Order: sequence, then C-alpha cells, then structure tokens
Amino acid sequence: MSAKPKVLIVDDEPDVLLTLRMILEAEGFDPALAADGETALRRIDDENPDLVVLDIMMPVLDGWFVLAELAGRTRRPCVVVCSAKSSDADRNRARELSADAYVTKPFEPDHLVAVIRDVLGHRSGAVRPSEAFRV
Amino acid sequence: MDQLPVEISQRIRHEARVAGLREARSPSIEMVERRRMQLWFLTFVIVIVLGLATLVASWTTGNVGLISGEPWILRSAVAALGLGFCFYAVEKEIHLHRLSRLLVDERVLNSAMANRLQMNAALFNAGKALNSVLDLDEVLDAILANALDLLGGATGSVMLVADEESLRVVAVRGSRLARDARVKLGESIAGRVATSREPLLISGVVGPGDFPGYEDREQTTSSAMCVPLVNRGQLLGVLNVSASSERDFDEHDLQILSLFAEPVAAAIAKAGLYEAERAHVAQLLDTDRMKTQFVASVSHELRTPITSIRGAVAASRRSITPEQRVELLEVIERQSLRLQSMVEEIFTAAKMEQDGNRPLLRRIDLAALVRLAALDSQVAGRPVEVEAPTACEVRADPEAVRRIVGNLIENAHKYGATPVRITVQPAEEQVVLSVVDHGAGVPLDEREKVFERFYRADPNGTKPGMGLGLAIVRGLVESCGGSVWVEDAPGGGAAFRVALRTGATESSEREVARVG
Repeated sequence: MSAKPKVLIVDDEPDVLLTLRMILEAEGFDPALAADGETALRRIDDENPDLVVLDIMMPVLDGWFVLAELAGRTRRPCVVVCSAKSSDADRNRARELSADAYVTKPFEPDHLVAVIRDVLGHRSGAVRPSEAFRV
Repeated sequence: MDQLPVEISQRIRHEARVAGLREARSPSIEMVERRRMQLWFLTFVIVIVLGLATLVASWTTGNVGLISGEPWILRSAVAALGLGFCFYAVEKEIHLHRLSRLLVDERVLNSAMANRLQMNAALFNAGKALNSVLDLDEVLDAILANALDLLGGATGSVMLVADEESLRVVAVRGSRLARDARVKLGESIAGRVATSREPLLISGVVGPGDFPGYEDREQTTSSAMCVPLVNRGQLLGVLNVSASSERDFDEHDLQILSLFAEPVAAAIAKAGLYEAERAHVAQLLDTDRMKTQFVASVSHELRTPITSIRGAVAASRRSITPEQRVELLEVIERQSLRLQSMVEEIFTAAKMEQDGNRPLLRRIDLAALVRLAALDSQVAGRPVEVEAPTACEVRADPEAVRRIVGNLIENAHKYGATPVRITVQPAEEQVVLSVVDHGAGVPLDEREKVFERFYRADPNGTKPGMGLGLAIVRGLVESCGGSVWVEDAPGGGAAFRVALRTGATESSEREVARVG
C-alpha cells in the first residue's frame, strides 16, 4: 500500500485539473483526475481514493449527483467540494449530502491543501468532528 | 326641454281653474272627460227645462209664439238665459279641450323624460362599471353585458382593429361567433362601419349581396346595430348588438348605442394603456431578473480562470520540472486571455447598449474571413467544417464579422453538438452565412429570446457563459445592416443564419461610410 494519500480531482476545467494535480503531487499526494461526474464515480469505484476534490457544475453528471451517490454508501471517500457556487443554500446542500468541507473558487491553493490534510487527518482519527466542515 | 313641463303644468293649472276643476291640483284626462260630461248634461237639462217651461207657459196663456207671444219680456229673458248658458258651456268646453290636449302633451313628455332618465342611469352605470375595471378582457365583457342590458339585445360582440387591414373579434356574448375571427376592413357589416365610422341600423334579413363578405352565423337575426368605437379621433373597433327575433331596433336605439359607444371607446383605450404599462413593467422585471442572473454568471465565469491562474502560480512555487513550469506559464497565458475576452465581451455589450455600434462598413471577402475564423476556432479546440465559394463579397465591418462568426461557432459548440458546419451562400443582393450544429435545436418559443442580452438557455446548468454572445452577434449584424435568426437545421440541430448585404448596388462614394 502506498503511503501517499490518493486524491481524485474532479473538475471540467482542464487548467484547474492540471494545476491542482501539480500542487497536490508536490505536496505529497497521489492525484488522479476526472473531468465529469460519470468518470469520477467510475474512478472512485476502481481506485478507491481517500479524498475527492469535487467541482459542482460539470457536464454529463454534475457534482450534486456524485455527492448524492456517495452519501448513500457506507464506505466512501472524504469529499471536499470546490465550486464557484458560493451561496449559503449551496453550502447547506453540500453539508446535507455529507460533504466534509466546502471551498469556494477562486481559492488560495495553500488553503485547499490545508483543508485536504485536515479532513484526511480527522478521518484517520476515526471520528469526524462537525468543525471539519470548512468554509 | 327642462322648462317645458313646468310651463305646461302652469298652463294646465290655469285651464283647470278656468274649466271649473279648481279643486283638482293635478287634473287627469279622466277628470276632464267627467267634467265635460257633467257640463253638457247640465246644459242639455237646462235647455230642456227652459224649453218645456216656455211651452207650458204658452199653452196656459193660449199664445203659441215663443218669443213674440205675451208676456214677451218673460219669454225673452228665458231665451237669453238658455243662450247664455249655452255660451258658458261652449266657453268651458274650449278650455276643457285645451286642458285635455295639454294633459296628453304632459303625459307624452313625462314618458319621454322617464325614458331619458332610464337611459342616462343605464349609461351612468355602464360608465361606472367600465371605469372600475382595468383588465381589457373584463372591460370588453362588461361592455357587452351593459350594451345588451341597455338595449334588450340578444347577442353582441366587440371587434378591435387588429392591423391595417382587419378587425378581430375580442369579446362575444350569446353568439356562436368565434373569438379571434377576423373581418376585413371595408367588408361585411362591421368592416364597413369601421371604414365609414358611421353607426349602422339593420332591419330585415341581410345577405352577402348587401354587404360583401357577410356571413349570417345566427340565421335568425333580422334587426341589428353596429357602431364604431372611436377615442380621440382614433378608430379602436366596432360594437355589434343584435336583437332577438321578437324585437326590432329603431333609430332611437341606435342613438343610445352611439352614446354608449363613447365611454366604451375611452374605457377600451384606458385598458389598452394599462395593458401596455403592465407589459412594460413585466419587461422591466424580466430585464432586472436577467441582469441579476448576469451578475451571477459573470462572477462565476470570472472565478474559473482566476482559480486556474492562482493555481498555476502556486504550483510554480513548488518543486516542479522545467517542462511543468512551461506548462503552467501556458495556463496563465490561456486563462488571462480568457479573462480579457470576457472583459471585451462585457465592454462590447455595454457599448452597443450605450450608443449603438458604429462599424466601418466596407467591401470584404466573407468567405476568406470565415475560413480564418474557422482556423482560429480549430486552434482553440472547436473544430468546424467550412463550405464556401472561393470568394464572396459583402458590405460589412471585418472585425464585426470575425466576432460574429467566432461567437456563433462558440455557441454551436457550447449548446449544440458536433460536427459544426459553416456555409456561405450568395443570394440576390445578400449573402447568407449559416452556422449549423447537430444538437437538439432551439425551441420555437426561445428563438427570439436567445438573442436577448443576459438570456441563458441553461441558467443553472453546467454551460459556462454570461448570456452576451448571441446578443452581441445580433447587435453587430444589425450594425452592418444585416439580419440574424435561428431555425431548425435540415436533419436536426440549430441553424443560425446571418444575412449580410453584398452592397453591389451601392455607389462607390459610399465605399467607406458611417464613420463616427
């Protein structure tokens, strides 16, 4: 088993995928990419990542669909929603669908890395406190 | 008119007093007749009594001469008494005759006044009812209900001017006439009244021979009226009322309906203004809603490239290979260009709204420009097939055409499906540029809306955009004197078509025109 945590980056914007992959790789993660919800679900099934960085507005199947699909599973990866949607309604919806954190675009890349580490740290501690839902 | 009954009643009182009906404050024709009977009966009795008395006196004296006999003074006095009473009776009869004529006049006038009052009350009520409603449909319905009530009509309809050539039925009561049916101006009854602006009374059965284009849908109508609805000199439509089979309208009814038509026309005009105002407010609210949507779209659209740029900067600060650094610089360049193009798009849309676009119109080769735009698009990852003649001249601004083609290709890739195909087809005095995709096409009710500023076919969906692309296309096409529309492509998908003028017929002095 690799020591590097597996992170699946899901975004329909190629340049976001590219830059996030480089950053997470440099920060010691093992990144994988998906450009739509369908590919994301397939890669989650196949590769069992530790965490998913999930965009909401995407073609084919959007982020809400992926979240709802994962929420019904007993064994599922942590999810950090990363979207340009910034309303309270969207945050609440993500929380209800069991997202672990919510980061609004455009974000400070270092902040995203910190959130990812935080969420993964809580998971390894077996208990996920409610404060883990970050803004 | 108002003074006449007063004058008549004074004369009636005078004649009644003279005729011996002093005790009656309001004499009736029946009282006059009774008085007349009494007078002539009394006269008859007196004459008979006087005659008999004279005869008896003659027999007792043996002198048969009525006047000349003895004693003649007594006999003359009896005769004078009889004659005097007769004069009295005749004089009273003259006054009674005058009185009975005055009473008949008074009765006629009272009846006419009552009719007028009733009509005024009905008109007042109708006006009040019409003023209390603003909705055009309700106004029209109230008009018909009041008109039929006022005149005892059986059926009625209101037709309003639809366009320069026809009237349209907008309200119907009690008739099988279809709403939205059309009548040509000048034809049939309503069309003729609308043209002449003269009220028309129809008696007896009419046919197409009397009014070309006339169809009698009721079959039983034998009496009908049609009046024009004119407000401040402007013809708004006509009001039709038909009588039931047992009633016939007359000139008086036509006069009433004409009077009724005046407040009706004003009410319709007022309701029309209200409708226009309401539509304007709805449009403003719609624009406001779309602007709010636009702000949301813009902020979302700006976030994505900024995310990529910040990500690239953050990544370049980490330990990366030289190849990765080059890649990141390309990301920064690509996304900053994207931001720049968005800013330009917003600026162009704002400028078009502010002062219109004033392009530099000149003869250009549309086919060559389309090939260039297709190449740009290919490079940007949006492949396009082009079918165009070797050269094809139009009169337009080259920069505008480049943006038109670019935006249409981007739109086809965003909302349609590949393959996207561009054709350039020269026609008479114009060239039609078509951008055809293989997507779902544009629904009929959205074919105008897609060209409105801020309109998004997919407001909450996943397609990026600000709702400006097609609005800019329309603005630029129109500034070049052309037109743009969308239709179904043969075989499915949307076909956006732009017609630009060739300018072949224009003089050479106007080669470069409309600068500033």
